[in-house]
Order: sequence, then structure tokens, then C-alpha cells
Amino acid sequence: MRTALWAIILKELRQTFRDKRTAALLIVAPVIQLIVLGFAVNLEVDHVPTAIVDLDRTPESRRFADGLVAGETFEMKGNVDTGEEAIELIDHGKVCIAVVLPAGFERSLGDGLPTQVQLLVDGGDSNRAIIAQNAATAYTTQVGFRLAMDRAQQQAAALGVFVKRPALLQVQARILYNPTLNSHIYFVPGVGGTLLLVVTVIVTSMGLAREKEAGTMEQIMVTPMSPMVVILGKTLPYALIAFVDLGLVVAGGALIFKVPIRGQLWLIGLAGILYILTTLGIGLLISTVAKSQQQSFMLAFFFMMPAILLSGFMTPIANMPHWLQLVTHFNPVRHLIEVLRAVLLKAATFSDVAPQLVALGGLGITVFLLAVMAMQRQLK
Amino acid sequence: MTSDANPQLQEKGGPVIEAQGLVRRFGKLVAVSDLSLHVAAGEIYGLIGPDGAGKTTTIRMLTGLMALDGGVARVSGEDASNVGVREQLGYMPQQYALYGDLSVDENLTFFGRLFGLNRAERERRKDRLLEITRLAPFRKRRADQLSGGMYKKLALACALLHQPVALVLDEPSNGVDPVSRRELWELIYEFVSDGMAVLLSTPDMDEAARCHRVGLLHHGKLLAEGAPDALTRRFHHETLMVRTANRDALEDLLVGREEVLALSPEGAELRLVLRRGSTQALLAWAETQVGALHWEPSKPAFEDVFLGLLADPQSCSEPAATELSGGAQ
Repeated sequence: MRTALWAIILKELRQTFRDKRTAALLIVAPVIQLIVLGFAVNLEVDHVPTAIVDLDRTPESRRFADGLVAGETFEMKGNVDTGEEAIELIDHGKVCIAVVLPAGFERSLGDGLPTQVQLLVDGGDSNRAIIAQNAATAYTTQVGFRLAMDRAQQQAAALGVFVKRPALLQVQARILYNPTLNSHIYFVPGVGGTLLLVVTVIVTSMGLAREKEAGTMEQIMVTPMSPMVVILGKTLPYALIAFVDLGLVVAGGALIFKVPIRGQLWLIGLAGILYILTTLGIGLLISTVAKSQQQSFMLAFFFMMPAILLSGFMTPIANMPHWLQLVTHFNPVRHLIEVLRAVLLKAATFSDVAPQLVALGGLGITVFLLAVMAMQRQLK
Repeated sequence: MTSDANPQLQEKGGPVIEAQGLVRRFGKLVAVSDLSLHVAAGEIYGLIGPDGAGKTTTIRMLTGLMALDGGVARVSGEDASNVGVREQLGYMPQQYALYGDLSVDENLTFFGRLFGLNRAERERRKDRLLEITRLAPFRKRRADQLSGGMYKKLALACALLHQPVALVLDEPSNGVDPVSRRELWELIYEFVSDGMAVLLSTPDMDEAARCHRVGLLHHGKLLAEGAPDALTRRFHHETLMVRTANRDALEDLLVGREEVLALSPEGAELRLVLRRGSTQALLAWAETQVGALHWEPSKPAFEDVFLGLLADPQSCSEPAATELSGGAQ
């Protein structure tokens, strides 16, 4: 039994590393994907292409426009003369936001009259639109307040009265765990969870389908070994590779994206083992249904898409409808990402992530047992 | 090879491979129906029949790869579905079933390990099999870079590594050139002379004629069974070669007639298998239709017997049952 198991494990590893494409898929691709996805999945909004419609053309209007694009948020892409032209630029995707300063902007401010600045925002990318609108609004409010104060002080000085600047109620935010609000720190653990999903589900399901397609499974099944040996032999090598990948993702995240490692790594290891148990089980279940590698790939894809979307990787689970939130409890990707984020960023302890570990353990054991039963029935 | 032979081979008295009343259905289709056969130690039994006759299904049931819907399949007296039986059984499937990306050596090592052979024993048997299959110079070559014949020899070596008492080959010469085919058969004879029981399937009549006994399978039923020359001797229909100026017209005329069990063009002539006693009347009538005919009787070939049996399952029904059991030659 041990010789047979060893034979299959060695054979799998030999085939995997002999085929350079498979080896690259399992070891190099996760690292490259971590880097590419890590940089790509970034919700920070800056350098928003901006147009200015300055209908006033006065020193005050120019100062307002220069101040707006002086920071990182807005990037000046052009001055146009009319609102219609600005809308045309938005239509063509040249700019995302246009700021219209009305004629009489300086005079009206000088007279202390209510003055409006118009924003034209492309709502196609709602996230970027909201952030850009908020930034422009905040800037306008700040300028308006400064002008009002200056004016009040000037008027008081003219009357020979000293006026104290009024007290301001301000928000003092202290961001914990990720003080610079670096979104990589939030996303890299998610990328890790999804990459492991690809490696384990696709490779396991396709590996078994390939044996069926090639007829080698039949040759194996006329040897005197139990189906359990086949199952372990076909999954252990990929569990090992997936575990190495998990290490590479954590190390790559720390080195490339400065994702901190604040908690205990053994918790990540334990979560990784339970997670891999689940995903390998899913790979095995797929291979009991699929008759070809192509079918395996399609079925694996149908599982992976919702698993990633419902994992909280991209969108917060709290924003999903209640019934869908319940469904996510059965998603191993959700639990792994939660453990990775909690342990890496918040130095979570065993008791902090115990619910996730219990969920992963429950899912892992259930799915793997189901898969083993299905495989044994089929192989017998 | 004698020194390597499995000692159990010589000790077994009864049939090594045995099927009794095998039944297998796929939905409404009955693929194998009440099929019984046995293969003794030192015997080559050929399961012959056209494509779709049920040969592979029978073989898969006898190797424990497919569940039975009825009957009993045994190897060395044990139920074929028992895992323990696989120690006794070597199987070479019809399709390519080795790892193309592993070398000759690695494939043999892999299957040797699956059968639990220790390193020393495995290496000794590997060397011996590579020598007799003449694959030794190609040990490092990947299996998918071997010729069809070499690949089959490697598959045979993998099936023999654990020294089984029963060897099952599904269309072993499929896709193999004539020279390699002869080599393959020499190997099979060598193992059989050591007492191995061999069950093989083939749609090829020349190959069937090399077997000690054959079973003719059609639509999942065994039509006849016996030694090939005994079946040929018992064949009681008439075989003849007919020459005519217009062979194609004669062929068109005779196709589908009740008296004609089989017909096939051979050069300018037409080879006919006709029901006993129908030759004179049929050919006299044919002459009135297509002109002068010259014919002479021919010794029935095994292929004629097979084709005759497909058209008339009673073609070999005589003589006595004792001759039917045939046995190894």
C-alpha cells in the first residue's frame, strides 16, 4: 500500500515538473498573478482626468482651478470654454469630471453672495465618481470657508475690531491596522485565497480527467490497490504544491506589497490545510462527474466564479442581501481570506479566528469525505 | 523465461479464466447475453467477432473493470471483482493506456511499484522483460515516442511484470505493423508455454487462427466455440471461387440472396460461401443473368467460417460435442 501510494505521488510530481507548462502554472504563475493582480486590484482613486470650464477668467477663478488640480486626486486634462464641450469630453471618455466656474465667480464671492460651482461627473464607474465628487466638494467647501473667514476678518479690521477665528469641529481619524489605507494590504490576502483555489480545484479535477481520457485510469484499476490509494496519490502532491504556493503568496505579499505579518503563521498554515482539503475535495467531486479535461475545466470554472465573487475578496459581504450572506458561510474562500486578513493585519489569535477555522474544518472534512465516497463508488 | 514463471501456473488444474452466463446491459441494449467460456493454463483463447460484438465488454467484466448484470466471472477460481484477483491477472487494454510522458523505464517502475514489488525484484524482472521484448536499448525513451509495435510490447511488459497466471489482451495487434505483430505473438507463445492462460479479443481472422481455441461472438452471444481448424473442418457449407467476365454484375446479382452466406471480391474472381446444396441451382440461374461462369470449390478459410456463422449460426453445429471442447494444441 505504501509502495503504491509512493509510486503515484512520485509519478504525479515527475509528470508535473517534467511538463514545464504545468510546473509554471503551479509555481511561477501564482507569484506572477499575485504581482499583477496585486497591482491591478486597487480601489484607490487618484489622478482623475479633469476638465475646467472657467467662464469667469479672473485671478480668483484661476486660483480655485489651480488649487483643485494641485493635489494627487485630480489631474488637469484640459480647459474648455463651455459646459457642452465639457460633456463632450466626458462622452468620449477623455475626462471623468468637469468643474464649471460661472461667469461672475470672483465678483459674486467678493460681494459675499452665494456662489455655485458646477460639477459634471461621469457616473459610469460609480466608485470613482463618488470619490471624485466628494473630493471636489470637500475642496470647494474648504475654499469657501477660507474666503468667508478672510472676508470677515477684513470687515472687522476695517471697523477696528479684532475677530478671533471661530472654533472648528473637526474629525480626527486614526486608521488602525492599515494607517496609510494601502488597498494592497487588504487585497493581497484575497488574491492568495483565489490563487490557491485555481491551483487545487483545476489541477486535481483535470489531472483525474486526464487519466480517464488517456485510459491510464483503467490500467491503474487492474492493479491490486484500493481506490483510497489512488485518491491520496492524486491529491497529496497538489496539496503540497498548494501549500508551497500559500507560502509564496504570503512571502510575496510581504516583500512586494509590504503586507505585514503580524500574527502567528501556524494559524495561516492550519487554515491553509483545511482550505486545501475542501478545494481538493471539490476537484475530486468535479472529476467524478466530468468525462473529459474540457468538462472538468468548465465545471471548475462554474464553481470558482461564484466562490470568488461571494468571498468578500472584492466586495464586502455585509453589502450583500441577507440570504446571500448566509450562502457565503459555505464558501471556503471567504473563511480563508478572513483568516489571512485577520492574522496578517490584526495579529488575530486562535480564538479570534476559531469560527473561521471551525467552518473550514467542517467544510473540508464534509466535502473531502463526500468526494472520497463518490470516487470510491466510481473506481469500484 | 521458465525460471521466472509463476509457480502457481503449473499447479492450477481447472480453468484459470472462467465465465458462466455473463450478462451485461447498457440501458435496453443487451451487450453480452448468457456468455460462458473458460481458458485453461497454457491455452490461448481468442474471442473473435466484428466491432460491437461485445468482445471488450466481456473482457472488462472478466478483468473486474465492469460490473456484471448476471452470471459469474472468475480468475483462478476467485471472483473477478475481488481486488486480490488482480495479483493473478495481467491486462493490456485496446487503447494506449501507458503514460506517454514517462519513459519506458519509468512506466515499468511505476506499474512494478503498484504491484508492490520490491526494488531488487522489480529491477530483475524489468531487465528480463526489456531483454525479451528487445526494448532494452529504448529504456530512456518516452512512451509516446515509441512506434506502435514497441508501445504494445511495453504495454505487454507492464502487464507481465507481476507474473500473472492469466493474461487478458484486448485486440493486441491493433495498430501494429506485421513484423511487430509476429514478435508480439512470439512473446505470447513463450509465456503460454510456461503455463499462462491467455484470453485475447480480435476482429482479425488471421490472428484468430493462431489461437488454440476461439469463441465466435456476435451481438453479445457466443455463436460457436472450438479450435479454429476443427471449426473449419466442421463447416458444412460450400466455399468456391467464381470467375466471370462481369464480376461486379455477378456481385450485384448475388448480394442479399438467401443462399449466399458471404461473398467477397478477390482480384478478378468472386469468393462465395453458399448454403450446402444450393451451388448448382444458384450458379445455373446466375449464368442466365450475367453470362458464362467458371467456378471451382475452395477450401474454407477461417474467415469463411466466421462469415458463414454470422449468417447461419448452425454452420458448424455438427459433429459431436467432444470435438467442440478442442483444447490446447
